[in-house]
Amino acid sequence: MPTPFYAPDFAAPVSSPWNSDQDETLRCVHVRQETHDVKTFVLAANGPRNFRYLPGQFLTLELEIGGEKINRCYTLSSTPTRPDLVSITVKRVPGGTVSNWLHDNVRVGMELGAMGPSGEFSCFKSPAKSYLFLSGGSGVTPLMSMARALHDLGSDADIVFVHCARTPADVLFAEELTLMARNMPHFRIALVCEQHTPGSNYAGHLGRLDAARLAHIAPDFLQRDVYTCGPAPFMAAVRGLLAGGGFDMLHYREESFSFETLVADATHAPDNQEVPPDNIEVNYKIELQKMGKSFTCPSDQTVLQASVAAGFRLPSSCSGGACGTCKTKKISGTVEMKHAGGIRQREIDQGWFLPCCSKPTSDIVMDR
Amino acid sequence: MNTPLSAQSLLTRELLARRRPGYSLEAPFYLSDTILQADMEHIFGKHWIFVAVEPQVPEAGDYITVDFGNNSILIVRDDDMKIQAFHNVCRHRGSRLCASQQGVVGNIVCPYHQWTYDLTGKLIHAKHMGDDFDPSGLGLKPVHIRNLAGLLFICLAENPPEDFEQMAAEMTPYIAPHQLSQCKVAAQIDIVEDCNWKLTMENNRECYHCMSNHPELTISLYEYGFGYQPNEDNKADLQRFQDIMAANHERWEGMGLPSAEIDTLDDRITGFRTQRLPIDRSGQSQTMNAEVASKKLLADFVDPALGGLSFWTQPNSWHHFMSDHIVSFTVLPISATKTLVRTTWCVHKDAVEGVDYTKENLTAVWNATNDQDRRLVEESQIGISTGAYQPGPYSPFTEGLVEKFCNWYVNRLSVLTR
Repeated sequence: MPTPFYAPDFAAPVSSPWNSDQDETLRCVHVRQETHDVKTFVLAANGPRNFRYLPGQFLTLELEIGGEKINRCYTLSSTPTRPDLVSITVKRVPGGTVSNWLHDNVRVGMELGAMGPSGEFSCFKSPAKSYLFLSGGSGVTPLMSMARALHDLGSDADIVFVHCARTPADVLFAEELTLMARNMPHFRIALVCEQHTPGSNYAGHLGRLDAARLAHIAPDFLQRDVYTCGPAPFMAAVRGLLAGGGFDMLHYREESFSFETLVADATHAPDNQEVPPDNIEVNYKIELQKMGKSFTCPSDQTVLQASVAAGFRLPSSCSGGACGTCKTKKISGTVEMKHAGGIRQREIDQGWFLPCCSKPTSDIVMDR
Repeated sequence: MNTPLSAQSLLTRELLARRRPGYSLEAPFYLSDTILQADMEHIFGKHWIFVAVEPQVPEAGDYITVDFGNNSILIVRDDDMKIQAFHNVCRHRGSRLCASQQGVVGNIVCPYHQWTYDLTGKLIHAKHMGDDFDPSGLGLKPVHIRNLAGLLFICLAENPPEDFEQMAAEMTPYIAPHQLSQCKVAAQIDIVEDCNWKLTMENNRECYHCMSNHPELTISLYEYGFGYQPNEDNKADLQRFQDIMAANHERWEGMGLPSAEIDTLDDRITGFRTQRLPIDRSGQSQTMNAEVASKKLLADFVDPALGGLSFWTQPNSWHHFMSDHIVSFTVLPISATKTLVRTTWCVHKDAVEGVDYTKENLTAVWNATNDQDRRLVEESQIGISTGAYQPGPYSPFTEGLVEKFCNWYVNRLSVLTR
């Protein structure tokens, strides 16, 4: 068995560049627990490799989960200035098939199918003198990659790095950000937490990022290039703040990190042109395998509602996830289910779901 | 004025009054539908009856159904891990709720019109019932249930016998060390015997028949444990058994395993008897070589030679707790002449089939014994049905516990039908 630790021969000539056609699998060499629900997975190629990418870009993992092939994009939290390895930083998401699977299953030595890199969200595409990085939750990853690269390159760029989290216990990379601020003369950090964590020594902002707080943190934000990444509501709020403050949106760039819920087919690049903006419905195809029929379900409707609208009569009674009359085996696809006791976790684990209280998050094939 | 008595009640009363102590019961007790009705109403309807072991419902949502006479009882583990028992009957139009003997549910849903109850029995969904519909009075009818160190007893009476708590207090120290709740069901086998349930129970309460009929069981079981007539030929063997019993009881008690006999079979409403009995040969388990059937011992046991803790309850169960497995028997009447005998074998939940034990070896002794007993009680039933039967005398040496079963039964029925 090969040693999982990646020990490059630094005396050898420069290793060959990352070629995702050839490097179809990456091997996990280290797993770091960043917070209670966030892990960083450090990945290596099978052989000496020179990983080149734009800080802020993502790779696509090709996974097989429960016998089903699933692709998911994850922004690289690593920096190409440390080119021997790449890393992704992943937060557990309630009901998140892939993120939870990664947390529960990926161990050192394990191989993962990977494609990439791709993506347009990078300050290295259009360098500026001063930046405002606005991150929400694990949306910090592409901004961290950019900051790490600028730091490693000895840049004296003027950066205000804002990281918004639910509580101080959810803040990511706090120590490393502090170190970068010490090393870079014009790098400032501002933390904004919605709630305090009892017992923590947190002394940053409490509450949400609003106009007053933004003006306090970065009074000159109108002169800065803004890069934002976080959950869709967070980015929507930021857009509102900036536009309301008279910001020239030509200098605004955003990236969604929450591909798990937004992008069904990850072969679509999750740049801001193709990621469905917040509140815009997505239509998924629901297939009834035995009947050989299919219908369309908007992402804001339950599978049952859409089936009724399409003229199909699936067995049901309570419509609220309590009675389980509609219980159906899911052959493929993912849903967000809010049941009321009509199904057991054991059944969910076996692939059953309740169409009456499930909204699709991908195309679905049902055993009906 | 008193309520007029039915002819059936008068018959039952007269038969009960006529019972001759020390003799078997008269034929109608084994044949009559009227008596069976009295048994169902008063014996199975008003006493604590053993129905299942806790490992049959290990996880939230697991349920079992227990049918006896005309009853169907649903036992389910709720989301707080509490075990609940209900009548398995919908409050709408009476449909049976769960038809399977075991399964998993989210909530309890009637298959007929989908009336839905949560696992505490509350009605939480009933469609088309109008805005004024009040579901609050329409929860599932609860059944009393008690968990005695992993043994599940139910009582259908509104006010169950309170001395269950006394039995639980006395028996828990005996049973708890075997940690039944940390076990899994390795096998469960139902057989139906063509006889009255009392013949099954009476047969269990004596070992007069063991030596001649149970070659497999008597590999490990000393026949002397249940009374024996002393004579010159067996004097040495009897003494040897008494010595083994005394020595072992001292050893087991020293290990924290209560072993002494408690017998309240006919002087309490919730009558029972217990004793830790030595096992022959290696002293380990009721198997074909008296050695453990499962290499993974129960609880934190390290010594496989813990004999067999036997526990007999009125009116319908017996159990043997050994170092490696537990075997439980529940007897449930189907009709006057048909009886279900359900045998459940439990091993440590981490024991692996095919590695630590095989089902075949685990169940061999009692499968053979149950089949032999079935033949014995069915022959009794046939003989009694011929009309030539009249109650015969019990052995004062080996049938004392049968007498106690009949005493308990006659006393309880007499009190309740008075």
